Amino acid sequence: MKKILALFCGIFLLSGEAMAEINGPKAEDFIKKITTQGIEEIINSDVSQEEKDKRFEKLFNEYLDLDFIGRFVLGRYWKTATTAEREEFIDVYRELNIKTWSGRFDEFKGKTFIFKGTSPSNSAGQIFVNTEVPMEQGAPAKVVWRVKETKGQMKVVDIIIENVSLAITARNEYTAFIKNSPEGVKGLINNLKGKISTNVQSTDK
Amino acid sequence: MKKTHLTLLFAIFLASCATNPDGSKLDTSNETTLEAYNRAMFNFNYQLDKKVIYPVAKGYKKVTNQFVRDRVTSLFNNLDEPSYFVNDLLQGEIKESGISISRFLINSTLGLLGTFDVASGWGLERKKNSFDETMAKYCVPDGPFVVMPVLGPSTPRSLVGLAGEAYTSPLFWAFIDTDDGWVDVGVAGAAALKYVNLRAENEFLLQSLEEGSVDYYTTIKSSWLQNRQKYQSICSDNSEENATASYDFDFGYDEYNDEFEE
Repeated sequence: MKKILALFCGIFLLSGEAMAEINGPKAEDFIKKITTQGIEEIINSDVSQEEKDKRFEKLFNEYLDLDFIGRFVLGRYWKTATTAEREEFIDVYRELNIKTWSGRFDEFKGKTFIFKGTSPSNSAGQIFVNTEVPMEQGAPAKVVWRVKETKGQMKVVDIIIENVSLAITARNEYTAFIKNSPEGVKGLINNLKGKISTNVQSTDK
Repeated sequence: MKKTHLTLLFAIFLASCATNPDGSKLDTSNETTLEAYNRAMFNFNYQLDKKVIYPVAKGYKKVTNQFVRDRVTSLFNNLDEPSYFVNDLLQGEIKESGISISRFLINSTLGLLGTFDVASGWGLERKKNSFDETMAKYCVPDGPFVVMPVLGPSTPRSLVGLAGEAYTSPLFWAFIDTDDGWVDVGVAGAAALKYVNLRAENEFLLQSLEEGSVDYYTTIKSSWLQNRQKYQSICSDNSEENATASYDFDFGYDEYNDEFEE
């Protein structure tokens, strides 16, 4: 009987944990902090590009759960990848994202984010923070931030621009590549490495 | 940065390279016939863009400044208003249809043929609409993803919508109601200018998309189709599905199996 009770308690606690709701205003404040820091301390600041890149890398590593996202974007190939390949992929994926986004700072100059509240997610411990970015012409662009909370710590796990999820797009792209590449995950890693070195060269020009 | 209207961006001439960094082709032999066709057509469009459209767009950018390009964008935006008006009516959006037609009349006159958006300054903001959206609202199925020559990513429904937009464009009526060859040339030139201007204005966005991509065809296809999921929510038959945002996929994984739930 004790065992059955313990089992019931265990199930109850687990389901309670799974259903734990993330605090909306807290998630919104978290994204406000990121966008303010990104715009004021990096994009609009009067420091060298090198310093901007450094600050951006710190911001990126601190607030984005790249391990979680990287694991998701490999899809079913995460399971077949070796431990070394997984680690290498996450490193390369992180580096590519930092290089790609830091090269696009100018596009965000003078932009502001208008916060439009939060929406619940079907995934436990996650929430969407809705924002809009006013444009020179036409309607504002919709940018939605997917925030995940683990052990009290919030991280961004996806950014959705005009309905397009960056995580889903990367997952579709990477799994299609691996499927068609004779070298599998290794082929993808090599390709991403090539993109990083190309980006570095074009930045150095 | 101009608004990244992904639908618009991805509907222009771009195509998949589907190549490795060394230029060698990916092995896509295990794909379906439609997918193989789509990749081949994407590749054709990509080459067309790289060899013809992009060089022309770069030249156009050199001989124009941002002010001129903004006027060109505004002019073509204005020519879309009659289509918005018709679709607003078809969707029962009476107030919106009034705004669209007012915008067209104001901008075509006071806005110097639409080159200036005077109406927005008066609080009549531009709100896009399309035949594609109207059909979606009446729950017309979208059909499969297909890449068309020059037009790029499409579905059967989006193509029907495009035909509707062409039919409601003042450019089309100028073209059809005349026997003057010069008018025909002028209209064809205007259509070409619209696409060159669009390509020039989105040069850096498309460049960065391509640079960060390992399979450009899939990147464009995935983004284009995700963006279209917004139409799912306006079909009244999907009211139950509408409760969930299209991007709210199950984003979690089983710690023990080391695999995301799919």
